[in-house]
Amino acid sequence: MPIISDRVEVERKPKLGGGGPGKIPHRRGYGGGDDGDHGNSGDFHSREQRMRRYRIGMTLCIVSVTAVFVLLTMVYVFRMGKGRFDEDTRRWVRDWIPLTLPYLQLWINSLVLLLSSLTLELARRSMARKEEFAAMGIVPPRFGRDLPWLGITVFLGFCFLAGQVLVWNILRAQGAFLASNPSRSLFYILTGTHAVHLVGGLVVLLYAVAGRLLAVRFESQRIAVEVTGWYWHYLAFLWFGIFALVHFARG
Amino acid sequence: MITPSIGSTGSTEKSFLRRHFFTTDHKAIGRGYFFLSLAAVLVGAWLSLLMRIHLVWPRATLPFLDEIKPEDYLAHLTMHGTLMVFFVLSTVPQAGFGTFFLPLQLGASNMAFPRLTAIGYWTALTSFLVLMAAFVVPGGPSGAGWTQYPPLSALASAGPGQGLGTDLWLISIGLFCLSSLMSAVGFVATTTRHRAPGMTWLRMPLTCWSWFVTSILILLAFGILLAAVVLLMLDRHAGTSFFIPGGLLISGKAINHSGGSPLMWQHLFWFFGHPEVYIAILPAMGVTSHLLSVFARKPVFGYKAMVGATLAIGALGFMVWGHHMFVSGMNPYAGFAFSTLTTAIAVPSAIKTFNWVATLYGGRIRYATPLLFSAGFVSLFITGGLTGPILAQPALDVYLHDTYFVVAHFHLIMAMAGVFAIFSATYFWFPKMFGRMMNERLGRWHFWVTLFGAYTTFMPMHLLGIAGHPRRYSELSGVQYVAAMAPLQKFVTVAAIVTLLGQIIFLVNLFRSMLNGPVADANPWECSTLEWNSQISSEGFSNLQPHVNHGPYEYNISGAEKDFVMQDAPAS
Amino acid sequence: MSRALRLALLLIVVGCIYLFLAHPYWFPSGVSASSASIDYQFRIAFWIFGALFVVGHLILIFVLSKKPQTGSKISHGSWRLEVTWTLAVTIIFFWFNISGERLWSKIMPSEKKAGDIEVEVTGAQFQWYFRYPGADGVFGRTDVQKFAKPDEGNPLGIDPGDPSGRDDILSTSMVVPAGHTVQLRLRAHDVIHSLFIPAMRFKQDTVPGMEIHSHFTPTQIGNYEIACAELCGMGHYRMRAVVRVLSEEEFQRWIKAQETATASH
Repeated sequence: MPIISDRVEVERKPKLGGGGPGKIPHRRGYGGGDDGDHGNSGDFHSREQRMRRYRIGMTLCIVSVTAVFVLLTMVYVFRMGKGRFDEDTRRWVRDWIPLTLPYLQLWINSLVLLLSSLTLELARRSMARKEEFAAMGIVPPRFGRDLPWLGITVFLGFCFLAGQVLVWNILRAQGAFLASNPSRSLFYILTGTHAVHLVGGLVVLLYAVAGRLLAVRFESQRIAVEVTGWYWHYLAFLWFGIFALVHFARG
Repeated sequence: MITPSIGSTGSTEKSFLRRHFFTTDHKAIGRGYFFLSLAAVLVGAWLSLLMRIHLVWPRATLPFLDEIKPEDYLAHLTMHGTLMVFFVLSTVPQAGFGTFFLPLQLGASNMAFPRLTAIGYWTALTSFLVLMAAFVVPGGPSGAGWTQYPPLSALASAGPGQGLGTDLWLISIGLFCLSSLMSAVGFVATTTRHRAPGMTWLRMPLTCWSWFVTSILILLAFGILLAAVVLLMLDRHAGTSFFIPGGLLISGKAINHSGGSPLMWQHLFWFFGHPEVYIAILPAMGVTSHLLSVFARKPVFGYKAMVGATLAIGALGFMVWGHHMFVSGMNPYAGFAFSTLTTAIAVPSAIKTFNWVATLYGGRIRYATPLLFSAGFVSLFITGGLTGPILAQPALDVYLHDTYFVVAHFHLIMAMAGVFAIFSATYFWFPKMFGRMMNERLGRWHFWVTLFGAYTTFMPMHLLGIAGHPRRYSELSGVQYVAAMAPLQKFVTVAAIVTLLGQIIFLVNLFRSMLNGPVADANPWECSTLEWNSQISSEGFSNLQPHVNHGPYEYNISGAEKDFVMQDAPAS
Repeated sequence: MSRALRLALLLIVVGCIYLFLAHPYWFPSGVSASSASIDYQFRIAFWIFGALFVVGHLILIFVLSKKPQTGSKISHGSWRLEVTWTLAVTIIFFWFNISGERLWSKIMPSEKKAGDIEVEVTGAQFQWYFRYPGADGVFGRTDVQKFAKPDEGNPLGIDPGDPSGRDDILSTSMVVPAGHTVQLRLRAHDVIHSLFIPAMRFKQDTVPGMEIHSHFTPTQIGNYEIACAELCGMGHYRMRAVVRVLSEEEFQRWIKAQETATASH
């Protein structure tokens, strides 16, 4: 009998060293792999494992994207507040020209995005239901209200993008170009970065929609819709954040 | 038993393409990163050689090469820094060894997102090629240093290399950011979701802890660098003015921008850049902790303190960026806060050092090459680290900033310490990665040359800095008091040449061992962590579910038949 | 092998001690009001961290020479030790940090006093320009894009229409009297440079698009070199200038001579 283990076994609390709790049995089941559903661990490719894995991955993406938008917001606020150094007066002067926002179009876009978030949630739920039935070995009954929510979401997503392009066109018609003033630059950067991220979500949704053509397994479709759902709601939330920023901090 | 090694990329049925290009096997990808970094370090080291030679013998011509001009020196400097920081120090310890060994040490069958990890690798490779392409474009590579301060980096007219060369630099770093993000997502998801049963957080080897914390730093920092790079690109090509102020006159030409702030780039860059320093060194610290325990045949001293220190360094790493900017024109009162926070981050680093030394204390030390390099790491970390609190003081940094003192500081603590950890990891894991042992005798010679080389090259640089020698000077002749320091600079150049020549020993050892070194046993170092499990096949843990019953560092147990207990040995 | 490693580490320690005690190069002698206190602070740092370097390595060498412990004595760690050394380094580092903060609060704030000399420093690729406000004490307006004519003696683009700019003195070396605080306005009109005067223990970046204020007080007459300490392009290494510290009378004479030269120009 090795001495260390003797010693550790009588310890009530895990000792500091040696990489953790030695031979002490775990109160909360096993380690990472299975989070306590004893025994049924390990299968790397199991449905549940994949879903959890992708959820973690999506959370991490959201964290990273949030860092970027927090940074851009800080750049926005600092740039607006500080202005530029004027050589003649030797002072910092504000050079921020407030933007005349096309509110009507922006509200329409917001509504479209909100709607798409809703339809995606419906799609997610209907898929979750189907999955449950499938897991029970029952062919899912057709629900009357089971519209092609996913397709509608993709459509609304494209509508939102088209709406954003419209916003940019309206601004350009006003003479507000990317380089004309920091308020313009930052508006385009914020909305553009948001749109790029939305396109990413759309690509995944298209993959899920075209699932049947591409012979994607239902399970993969389901995961794609689930995690894109999180992402999509996050982007909608982000959009309102951006909208609030450019509205309340117009300068 | 060589199955888990050479040709372990897959069974023979798979085609060549499938095995080498479309593989999602973490071991193949890890090896890919290893060779990518090897290529980068060779180019980077070659550039440093050219720089050292040009610095002290500006008119010298090397065989097959033209005379090096001041602008070439700056291009070499930029590329040396970029290659070493991004493609070596942040690539091989994290993405290289991490991708290979994280799943094995956790008992997982692969990385959580194998395809994402693979795409990450190919993006990194593309990024490297884009960076290298700058050598052949008109004007050559960028000459603005790896920090790329605008307006120098923002305006093509500011110097040769500031045109296409800088564009390529920005594209390359943008791609590198994407690659790092993709890889980091896989790391965090693997660590949180795919630990084998019984592998609790506090049973993870310290290598896994440092890869995990580093990945979180990557997720927060690299997105920010990507955003900054995009903004700088827009300044260069879309006419925006984020970083370019108004009223500039460059080479007699008026620049039509207004109101940007060069300081904003510095804030964004260093908000990324300081965590980046820890992204480079945390995995190296993890490897050192791991190896000291294995070769001292003793548990890591203060495992929990080590984990805590790793987390503390990760958190504090985001709050100290201003210490790069004490003389930048930032509000000088900010210096107080950044100075204190920077001093604070020295504390967990010191805790780690104490624990390494205490791990060695009373151990049955086996003086194999990996141990030698790990001990070298500790020595270099002490030496390089102790100049940190000095540079953290604005009053002293005002004088020492941008002098060779800083060059000495970060080369010792980040470059040399980092490289020592990479070498020790290579000697240690080579049997697992390539199925054969490296030559111990050559390894030892390599160690002696590199240890003395590192000290003789970088210690004198402190004196240059104390005497006020600014860094990034392509010649010494421009300023009289700098010219007077030529003898010591020549000494440093000779030391650098000898050190770099010594690395030939490593290359010979590496490639010779890869081809016909002695075939390795399943567990040549008698190490207790899961990657040395004798039952893992070429498929990793996919056919085998290890069950972890022990901590990662259970060594030197008297009475047992061996002096260590594998993590997945049956519970007693 | 153990002995070889210990010997190597010992050699390194001895070599480093020799290198720093012999120190073929060291600070140039300080000639500004704050240089004595900065040098003192560095000396403290040098001895504290030098000692930690030596002690750290001696402990490492000692540990490598220690006889192996046997099973039951093997230690996994000790919170008591952890707390002890954490407290020890915290006290040393923060004591040093506080002394540094006090020094910084002493030398950094800048209040203009009567008798201060105002100098505007402009960094340009790859030349330093120093401008004095002249008899009226006011710097003339500049617009480098419109009026800069380096060949006609107006590299900074001083507006010829601005009367306060007519008596501005332009010089390529910084001429200052000993014993007066020099108030600097630092500017740049192309890329970032950094004004580094080692003998004054002074360094400050000059950033285009902003004006930075800083100061130092020369105390000894003599010529001291200025170097550029921020990468600014090809000629970075030769962006040199000189500070000429004169006595009060000589400085007044120099100013007079410059003023007449500017007026006749």
